[in-house]
Amino acid sequence: MKHLIPEFDRLRQRFPDTFASSLVLPCVRRIQEDRGYVADADIDELAAYLGVPRVQIEEVLSYYTMFRRKPIGRWHLQMCRNISCSMRGSERLLAHLERTLGIAAGETTADGRITLSTVECLGSCGTAPVLVVNETYHENMDAARIDALLKELD
Amino acid sequence: MPGRALLTGFDVTATSHLLADYRARGGYATLEKALSSMTPQQIGAEVTASGLLGHGGAAFAVGRKWGVIRLNDGQPHYLCANADEGEPGTFKDRWILEHAPHLLLESMLIAAYALQVRHAFVYIRGEFDLPYRRLQGAVDEAYAAGLLGERVLDRDFACDIIVYRGAGSYVCGEASGLITSIEGKRGYPRNRPPRLTVRGLYQKPTVINNVESLANITGIIRDGAEAFRKVGTAKSPGTQLISISGHIAKPGVYEVEFGYPFAKFIYEDCGGVLGGRALKAVIPGGISTKALTGAEIEPLKLDHASLAAAGSSIGSGGMIVIAEGTCMVRLLQVLLRFYHHESCGQCTPCREGMGWMHRIIDRIVAGEGRPDDIGLLYEISRANDGTTICGMGDAAGYATVGILDKFRDEFEYYIEHKRSRLGGVLEVATHA
Amino acid sequence: MPEIFINGQPVAAGDNQTVMQAALANGFFIPYFCWHPNLSVHGNCRICTVEVESDGGGWLDIACNMPVTKGMRILTDSEKVRARRKQTMQFLTLNHPVDCGICDKAGECMLQDHHVAYNGSPSTSREPKVKSTKFFPLSKRIVLDNERCILCTRCVRFTREVSKTDALGVQSRGDHSLIRPSEDGAFERDEYSDNVVDLCPVGALLSRSFHYQARVWYLKPTPSVCPGCERGCNVDLWHRRPEWRLRALDPAQNNRIDRVTPRDNPAVNGPWMCNKGRDLAAVFGRARAEQAMLKGRPVDMPAAIANARQLISAARHPVALVSSWASNEELASFKSALGGVFASYVKADVAPAPGETLSDDVLIRPDKNPNRAGACALFGAEAPRYAADTDLVLVWGEGTDFGALPRGARTIFLNAWLQPENGHADVFFPISAQTERAGTYTNFEGVVSAFSPCFAKADSVADAEALFPALSTRPGSAT
Repeated sequence: MKHLIPEFDRLRQRFPDTFASSLVLPCVRRIQEDRGYVADADIDELAAYLGVPRVQIEEVLSYYTMFRRKPIGRWHLQMCRNISCSMRGSERLLAHLERTLGIAAGETTADGRITLSTVECLGSCGTAPVLVVNETYHENMDAARIDALLKELD
Repeated sequence: MPGRALLTGFDVTATSHLLADYRARGGYATLEKALSSMTPQQIGAEVTASGLLGHGGAAFAVGRKWGVIRLNDGQPHYLCANADEGEPGTFKDRWILEHAPHLLLESMLIAAYALQVRHAFVYIRGEFDLPYRRLQGAVDEAYAAGLLGERVLDRDFACDIIVYRGAGSYVCGEASGLITSIEGKRGYPRNRPPRLTVRGLYQKPTVINNVESLANITGIIRDGAEAFRKVGTAKSPGTQLISISGHIAKPGVYEVEFGYPFAKFIYEDCGGVLGGRALKAVIPGGISTKALTGAEIEPLKLDHASLAAAGSSIGSGGMIVIAEGTCMVRLLQVLLRFYHHESCGQCTPCREGMGWMHRIIDRIVAGEGRPDDIGLLYEISRANDGTTICGMGDAAGYATVGILDKFRDEFEYYIEHKRSRLGGVLEVATHA
Repeated sequence: MPEIFINGQPVAAGDNQTVMQAALANGFFIPYFCWHPNLSVHGNCRICTVEVESDGGGWLDIACNMPVTKGMRILTDSEKVRARRKQTMQFLTLNHPVDCGICDKAGECMLQDHHVAYNGSPSTSREPKVKSTKFFPLSKRIVLDNERCILCTRCVRFTREVSKTDALGVQSRGDHSLIRPSEDGAFERDEYSDNVVDLCPVGALLSRSFHYQARVWYLKPTPSVCPGCERGCNVDLWHRRPEWRLRALDPAQNNRIDRVTPRDNPAVNGPWMCNKGRDLAAVFGRARAEQAMLKGRPVDMPAAIANARQLISAARHPVALVSSWASNEELASFKSALGGVFASYVKADVAPAPGETLSDDVLIRPDKNPNRAGACALFGAEAPRYAADTDLVLVWGEGTDFGALPRGARTIFLNAWLQPENGHADVFFPISAQTERAGTYTNFEGVVSAFSPCFAKADSVADAEALFPALSTRPGSAT
């Protein structure tokens, strides 16, 4: 985490002085972006850097669905399974993905490239079904578009 | 066009979200007006006179919420724009973030001036990518142009806006959960009292407003409360951004003038039900509002009073259209799975109740339902009504009761015959 | 001082009180799990819900977070409140394993009590219960059963607000939430960790040393004072009730301290104590001296007394090292009977162990003896001084290096514990321990606390309080 400290110092400047604790979420996100997940050593270093109890960071990591403490595949595919996406076929597309990739939701392909998950409403219901690939929303998905997308992933 | 537009009346282009385009449309002139010729009290009075209601779901009068803040009390005040937009079916604040981020920023600056706020936040759900980039881009432009920082518009008024990204938790869209999240902790909602306008972020007076609520501020200050009240109805002035999805031909975000006929909106403006099917039900304002049947919406208007009289609500403006042929048992299963997933786990009725309801509906869907399951779902819903720390328990109850009230026969059939009467279908039509 | 009405009765509530506080202070019972008088309000269990009467139709809300307002009318036991409580208990027992048969907490469990009082019905659920970890090692001292946990968060708030170690937190969310210790081992190092066992309203947090040891209804709590330091935390020593002493049991089981819990004293320790005091069974369970001796040769008590009296009357420069673990009553007896004869100095019985915390901001104090203040009040605070002609040293209590005493001086030694130096003294008296008599200690702030006896002393052991007059050689004193 040490190489991120200059960036964290700049981020800290933007917040009021008494807001050190607020830095937990943005710093954790940045660490995860950088490393792919949050390591135990990162937790120690971040707690020390911000002066917050270590347990606060542990709690945050386990509470929010977007944070992870273990690496996943290079490509994280998240299929929305909430109401409007389900009504426009996301269950069918999830099954298609599971068959095509040979894994169940929650698992990673054997070559470590792709992790498949389900996710709740992403705020994209008008362009359902929606598939998120890493940070990017892929909207109006169907089987053909999924197949084309998979070909693009290295 | 579903009535007059206040927020969306410009052409969306590749650059219309940028500062230059916004300025060309008159952007930041209202901020200039507010800072140069109005006092904080006058701005607050104008907002109150406008009758603007909150657009996040609770429809609490914005001016009344602002009015709790005591000016010149020597404490820091905070303002948070709620851009968490986690209510399933809702994607209308996103429209503002992607296409009119500067409208939000200008409104926030006017609000900050009115509320004596030095540091304001936009809490944006962590999953949003393009909306975040557009918003952060707008913030960066604003700083570069002297619209944010130590001297806004080169005046003796300082304001910083920080975009704070969430990380995947529906209850962080609840005002007190949002605040606890900005404090860098688990997004646990809080009991009231104290109200957040008395003790909120780091125990200081805090105003949290929905993005769309704030977006309306600029127009109200620019044209005055009276002009605002000419749009919409007496009890629901102005407009509502409605994001419509599900089995609808033309899903998307529409700005609807309050009072506009419900059925006309569905069948004319939004192209009617997919494939010309019959309308089975509409969930009008996000899944936490009670479903209305196709027949029930016929006489209704899209405003707070009309929907409340029909036993439902405008809610978050997330309208979900359900075509004939959809299995409502499976639909409720999707909803209860969601509430179970999102329960923060603090308080007894929700923590235990959401899991319980989810397990019951899963059992029904798997063909192992029992006759007293329906009564149990009602009882658990009732036991979560007004008993929990935040409104999520209540919401799950409304969603459940709304569907059970209108479609009980489907549940009875499923339990008795151990299968759906409608083949368990949710996807009535294949996406084109 | 707003006047409110609880169940129709007027109550003078305090300013800034909650309805919970006002009710409890005025004799009205409102059940609770997550609320605690010494912790911040969380308001998550919902069992303390009361009804607020109002002309426009009342409402129900939790009492622990409800500020009192003048004229408010509260009902703590209306039909609606009862229905709400019953429902809350249904939720709380929904996934609870209800394994009272093997749970240490049975008999003192708030969940049991409130279930019987407010629910009493079987569960309406037909779902399998959510399973979770049952013997999670929170630390070497405490084990956690997550299935029994109702997530009241008293334990988390304790480590945040009282011991200030931030050692516990809640992992995950919803009905998968788990109390877990901070991964850096802070809970293992928390010197007040065991208080969470008392705090836990159910059998989720359990003391390993008490695990499966005894059913609480066979035990009696005897008020006592922890001798671990000069704070003198008030405690209860739990031991087998006299009427439940069974011949079938190992005698040691009938005569041991099964556990130690704090006894609330706002003037001394509040409702807390440190972990050292929890292990008093080991301190009081040490081997006892039971035999009077002359230079290691067993004699009966009268012979020992006669010998000691001779030494005392013959001594020209006797010095006494007075125990700082002695009770005020014993000290007064020594002062009255022998204070005029001996040059008396107060000594430490117990020194800090290597690595032991000397003091902190919570309870722990540097002097590891309970009654230095009481002893110094009578005998001063000077360090012991010997002259070249010191010919008799009376040592009272353990912890003295006999090799450091003046050569040539005879020694009279009074000790409760079986220790090697007992046999080196010219006269040795076995004396009673704190658990065998009543008395008081004065703590470092001058607060006097009393202790009562748990066990009977052995017949061959003397009470120091009675022994000192017997040793006195003044005219008119006992012979």
